[in-house]
Amino acid sequence: MAGTETPSIDIKVYAPFKVYYEGKGYSISAVNEMGPFDILPHHHNFLCMLVPGNVIIEAPEGRKVIKIAHALMHVKADRVVVFVDV
Amino acid sequence: MRRPLEIKAEEAAARSVVSLTSALESISSMQIAKTKNKVLISNQFFDEVWNIYKQIRVDVMFNYGRVVGETPSKKELLILITAKGGLSGDIDNRLIRKFMEHYDETKNDVLVIGHHGTTKLKQSHVDYMYYFDLPEHDYINVDPLMDIIKKYTKSRIYYQNYISLSQQEIKDVDLSEVVSSRGRVADLATVSDDMVTEKTYIFEPNSYSVAAHLENSILRLTISQFIYDSRLAQVASRFKAMSAAKERSIANAAGLHTEYNRAKRNQVDTRLKESMAGLKKLRAGGAE
Repeated sequence: MAGTETPSIDIKVYAPFKVYYEGKGYSISAVNEMGPFDILPHHHNFLCMLVPGNVIIEAPEGRKVIKIAHALMHVKADRVVVFVDV
Repeated sequence: MRRPLEIKAEEAAARSVVSLTSALESISSMQIAKTKNKVLISNQFFDEVWNIYKQIRVDVMFNYGRVVGETPSKKELLILITAKGGLSGDIDNRLIRKFMEHYDETKNDVLVIGHHGTTKLKQSHVDYMYYFDLPEHDYINVDPLMDIIKKYTKSRIYYQNYISLSQQEIKDVDLSEVVSSRGRVADLATVSDDMVTEKTYIFEPNSYSVAAHLENSILRLTISQFIYDSRLAQVASRFKAMSAAKERSIANAAGLHTEYNRAKRNQVDTRLKESMAGLKKLRAGGAE
């Protein structure tokens, strides 16, 4: 439909010396101690520790899967940053 | 006056030093570009984590992740970050001098990172308790270091800071002050939306776990940053030392070349004088 655009979020997944992903995404999924979860646009401010597993990003250019050991996820104002190896 | 051949040999040796110092200067220059770029990238990462950490307002006492009931040593741990080996200018000497101003055998234990520091400490008759090689790779595993830090009430780190290519400074900081100096507790009724609190954020598994984990991460990242900074300062100091050594060896080689030419001319003059004297003698003999 003309004029409608799928809402997206800004996503950055990076470690001190490596950027795994930086760009727009429709959603990001990961696993923390409570279990698997998804972050969609307009998500509430959120801070959590991720457990070893995959971070999955649904991006305009397709699905990206990033394997991580430990990470910290910060969500604020439709911007998601995953600090890998933190 | 020395013989020209002797001077020529010395000049050749001086030219070799010029080549060697030029090569080391070029290597240092490449290392600076590479290391500086990495430090800038990691600084950006560190700053972003640090900004989140600064905004956290939950009641967690910083204790280096110690188990409750664990009694740390009353001594202060002094951590020195030094170069892997020599050829790094005077930067390690300056660090050891600063460390010696504070060091008290009865109150301090010493941990050294980088082999050059152990040599310098031995020269100063200081015994160190722990030693680690200076990490060379991008990823630095500071967990063994953290385990030692946890055993002490206080830890002070001495590191080298890069200001510019020509200027590097020695710094020392109290680790617990760096990490836990920010106020943790805040009145939830008065916090602004910028703060990371239970009122403004969802924490998982809970705010205490996240804050405690983040504090340890910040300490880990802080130590890594100090190591990255020191590595950059060390290559810059090596570059400076090699540039100075190259300039000195160029001047030395030029001086020796002048001396060689002078000695050579002197030798020719002497031979000419001797020949002239001989010729004069022969002519004088022929006239008789």
